[in-house]
Amino acid sequence: MGLVVAGAALIDMHNRLKVLRAERDWSQAVLAERLGVSRQTVNALETGRYDPSLPLAFKIARIFEQPIESIFSDEGALP
Amino acid sequence: MTVEITTRRPVWQKILGIAVLAGLGGLCGYALADFGRDTVSRWDDELAMLMSVCLIAMGLISAGVMATRPSEVPRGCGLLQIAVLLLAGVMFALPVFGTRFASPDLIFVGIVALLIVQSVANLMLWRAADEMLRRVMAETSALAFWALQTALFVYAAAERLGLVEGITAWGMTGILMGVYLFASMVAAARRGIT
Repeated sequence: MGLVVAGAALIDMHNRLKVLRAERDWSQAVLAERLGVSRQTVNALETGRYDPSLPLAFKIARIFEQPIESIFSDEGALP
Repeated sequence: MTVEITTRRPVWQKILGIAVLAGLGGLCGYALADFGRDTVSRWDDELAMLMSVCLIAMGLISAGVMATRPSEVPRGCGLLQIAVLLLAGVMFALPVFGTRFASPDLIFVGIVALLIVQSVANLMLWRAADEMLRRVMAETSALAFWALQTALFVYAAAERLGLVEGITAWGMTGILMGVYLFASMVAAARRGIT
């Protein structure tokens, strides 16, 4: 999962993209086309190598018809 | 429920593929060394040739990947990346080999023209890229800048103190491209692009 250094806090981002995609039986290419990004970007999102921008996170939430916080979480983030 | 079907190639096919690629690599290296026997004698020219070969090879490999795994999104990015890499490779070779075929003035005009085309292609690539590719490009630039400005300062200080010899702008350009390519590999690998 992506590890972001923000000030003194380490934020470990998690997401449920792979599960949500599998539930809909979509390939990475299909999701990439819906999002307007490359397949590599979808792969990087799913493997936690890349955290999306806010506009992309909103787009993902709209496509899966779920609130952002049910898809992305920052478990373990320090206050 | 999804079923993943993985098709693994037999080991002998992999070994054969590696052997064929190694053979092709050897032939290309020999041909290049033979072609540049009389022209490439300085270390900065040798470095420029290495960069040129790397850039052209990356362009051709990208073209092969694009042909076998076509992708519509982001539109046009693949072609632009290939164009940028191939143009950069040609531009690195022209100052060394170009004078075999035309006058230095004409070669220089050609290089400037190619540079303009490549700069436009780079700009189009930035505009067409998705956010992660832009991030990779930005990280590559930042990483390369940090490494190069540190190295340049150390070298410049040593040169000013008379500890090392001066270096040509052509040599510096080759080093810059080498560092940039390495930085791009690091930035891409961090995002799982290999």
